[in-house]
Amino acid sequence: MAAPLQSALLPEQIASMLGLSGVLGEIVGGLIGAFLIANIMLAMTAVAGPWAKRKITAAFTDRIAVNRIGPFGILVIIPDAVRLLSKELIVPEGVDRPSWDLAPIVLPASALLGFAVIPMGDLGPINFHLADPEAGLAIVFAFASIASVALIMAGYSSNNKYSLMGGLRAVAQNIAYEIPLIITALSVVIFAGTLQMSEIVAAQGDALVTIAGVSIPAWYAFVNPFAFVLFLVANMAEIGRNPFDIPEAPTEIVAGYQTEYSSVYFVLFYLGEFIHIFLGGAIMAVVFLGGAAAPISALSFVPGFVWFVIKMWAFFLFTQWARSALPRVRIDQLIEIGWKGMLVLSFGNLVLTAVIVGVLL
Amino acid sequence: MSLEEQLPDTVEEGQSADELAELLGDLVIDREDHVNAPGFVIRPDTVQDALRRLRDDAGFDHLSCVTAQEYEDRYESIYHLKKYDDPTQEASVVVPADKEHPVSQSAEPVFRTADWHEREAYDLIGIDYDEHPDLRRILLPDTWQGHPLSMDYDQDRPQIVSLREHANPLQEDQRSDSDSDTMFLNIGPHHPATHGVLHVKATLDGEQVADVESDIGYLHRCEEQMCQTKTYRHQIMPYPDRWDYISAGLLNEWAYARAAEDLNDIEVPEYAQIIRTMGAELCRMAAHFLALGTFALDVYGDFTAIFMYAVRDREEVQNILEDLTGQRLMFNYFRLGGVVWDLPEPREEFFEMTRDYLDRLPEHLEEYHDLVTGNEILQMRTVDTGILPPEVAKSYGATGPVARGSGIDYDLRRDDPYGYYDELDWDVIVKDGCDNYSRLLVRMLEVEQSAKIVEQCIDLLEDWPEDERNIQSNVPRTLRPDDDKEIYRAVEGAKGELGIYMRADGTEKPARFKIRSPCFSNLQTLPEMSNGEYVPDMIAALGSLDIVLGEVDR
Repeated sequence: MAAPLQSALLPEQIASMLGLSGVLGEIVGGLIGAFLIANIMLAMTAVAGPWAKRKITAAFTDRIAVNRIGPFGILVIIPDAVRLLSKELIVPEGVDRPSWDLAPIVLPASALLGFAVIPMGDLGPINFHLADPEAGLAIVFAFASIASVALIMAGYSSNNKYSLMGGLRAVAQNIAYEIPLIITALSVVIFAGTLQMSEIVAAQGDALVTIAGVSIPAWYAFVNPFAFVLFLVANMAEIGRNPFDIPEAPTEIVAGYQTEYSSVYFVLFYLGEFIHIFLGGAIMAVVFLGGAAAPISALSFVPGFVWFVIKMWAFFLFTQWARSALPRVRIDQLIEIGWKGMLVLSFGNLVLTAVIVGVLL
Repeated sequence: MSLEEQLPDTVEEGQSADELAELLGDLVIDREDHVNAPGFVIRPDTVQDALRRLRDDAGFDHLSCVTAQEYEDRYESIYHLKKYDDPTQEASVVVPADKEHPVSQSAEPVFRTADWHEREAYDLIGIDYDEHPDLRRILLPDTWQGHPLSMDYDQDRPQIVSLREHANPLQEDQRSDSDSDTMFLNIGPHHPATHGVLHVKATLDGEQVADVESDIGYLHRCEEQMCQTKTYRHQIMPYPDRWDYISAGLLNEWAYARAAEDLNDIEVPEYAQIIRTMGAELCRMAAHFLALGTFALDVYGDFTAIFMYAVRDREEVQNILEDLTGQRLMFNYFRLGGVVWDLPEPREEFFEMTRDYLDRLPEHLEEYHDLVTGNEILQMRTVDTGILPPEVAKSYGATGPVARGSGIDYDLRRDDPYGYYDELDWDVIVKDGCDNYSRLLVRMLEVEQSAKIVEQCIDLLEDWPEDERNIQSNVPRTLRPDDDKEIYRAVEGAKGELGIYMRADGTEKPARFKIRSPCFSNLQTLPEMSNGEYVPDMIAALGSLDIVLGEVDR
């Protein structure tokens, strides 16, 4: 199972397929590869937003939801896209134009950029991995936190008090939870000894224990479940889902930073949020769930890319479950949990991991 | 006055009208006799004095309602007083005011609830309340010309208001006030959290609420005036369904039925009383389910399972009510002297359907307790937030689950029995947490008690002998209560004490029809509960009040 990890990256594959080499090959291969990955993410979002989210929420609330167009109503995506794109774009008076227009582009872009370094496994001969820099994990967090900039741009420039409150909440929340998120990821880095994404995945390739012929892989979620839970919670706050959806908090501040956005801009915001959820799921998969690896070796005939998508969707499902069942916490409680709870626990986890790794391994 | 205030509270047990008159001494200039209570006529400049004496020395701590009306020769305000300990003890303080210059002393320093009640009286009738802290219009826009329930009001005169006077309330943007650290925020009238057209003017200090002011009246539909133009016998009954329209229709109908029946000395057959009791409790269950669901929306967010679960349960109750009354919301099922028709045939099927639901209910409630009240995040959010101390609640005339969540043991079904409640076995739920959580819990536990009542009613109805199923007593075709007969009667609605004041003038229509809405009084407590709290807690407190704007604005 280590073989696909060592295969060439997607841009190189495309370049060699087109017979190009050198700088031209890198540029063309990179662009086409990025285009491909971005479209896969957009397609997943299209399924998630108008259809899967409705179906999942409906299942939690004893309803049926969309079921008229296509099998299980899945073709509702098409009329929904037409509907959303054909709505009037309302630009309120007094918005700060460049910033107001940029925010809906920055948000999905920051999330899409994060996928550049995610190793998403292989499907047949294709290896869905754009780049594998040595500082991969740092880069993905850096890209993901650009989202906060988009949120405060939207909140500030909308000239709306609800938006402003939403933007401020988003920033307060992201700062409070990004530190525990990264510190917890660092504990994994101590185990793996590298920031490179493909290496982190490879380090989880061995079996942790083998019970009655079924081997449990050495995924960091099993090696250090405590860090996994911490990371999961911090990740939920980072992407702003229940119980941490306070930047939007519909019943309190209408829709937070996106209150004034309609039509295409609204779609872009939702797109950004969904891609962020998937990016959160992708980071979870890479850092804690063995990347594109199958959970048991008997199932490794299923392509890695499929496993990776399943893992991302599992995280998406988890966020929707939380959304249906959990109340949101109050802003001051959220900050308190972040700074007084998560931060202390994540540093504790880091120190403990460092000691254990240093002494025992 | 100060001496009298220090008198010990000895006269608790049921004073006679003469004793009360003695207590008020020379303040009383005349006596009246209302159907429900003795009326003491006092001079308009001694209102606070009289009310303070009645509150401190006679224990009348509940200003239930303030009714204002205009006569040929005078204006009049009536303060309907009750006791939280025993609401059957009532007293009316009647304050006539000059026809030319209707000025009357405000009761606000004694009872905080008089604030809104007197504003409404000023708005609709035109009485000036001296010493009132904030005498503005409350239901009608500030620019309204004239007072619609006064005698010289010209209905046909168009309300011409210049564009400037109708200025957009959002236009004046208080952010420009650079000296201030606070932010003014309009929450509503269209906002996901307000459950209707309520406009909350909030002043925020960061995320904390510095001050809130509720702006009501967006849903004012002249219900009182409409009832004054209809006949007692049949025409008024459809209107109560439109006050608290969140499935509490039968409870509202009962408020009118009870007042009108007492005014006209109509007896209701026992069998009809049982049907009424059953229907009313089903309505209470449906209303409380919706209250639970919308409260969950406020605390959870808009994609919550609890709202759908609560609506599912409400739907089942609604189906039973539909079978019983033929309607789902605007029931129009009660008649003076009984109900319009008997249980649906075949009766066994109706009983089975109702029993079947009641059998499933405990399991559903268990689920709610697992999901909602047992959830630690919810407890973190609701326990010790939105505090309403009992003394404050009493001063604002809070009733219903809001009062019972503040530890006030007050339920008209038990304390001022009507219908068939006296004969049945059930409990009044009281929680003394005074917070959002208590109010939520009271509603959920009341559903259990209501189910218990419905179950007993079903048993009674099933065994009722076939030849004694009398659903209506004989009521004259036209009702003309005696001139100047006045009554104030209340029932326990889904949100609290729903009272009706009626004055007869010898015709077949009431001369004055006043609705005491529990939501109106309860909503007044919002600033007490939310000032100094965070915005989300203010929203939760608003949700826990469970207001229906149709009933607030009437």
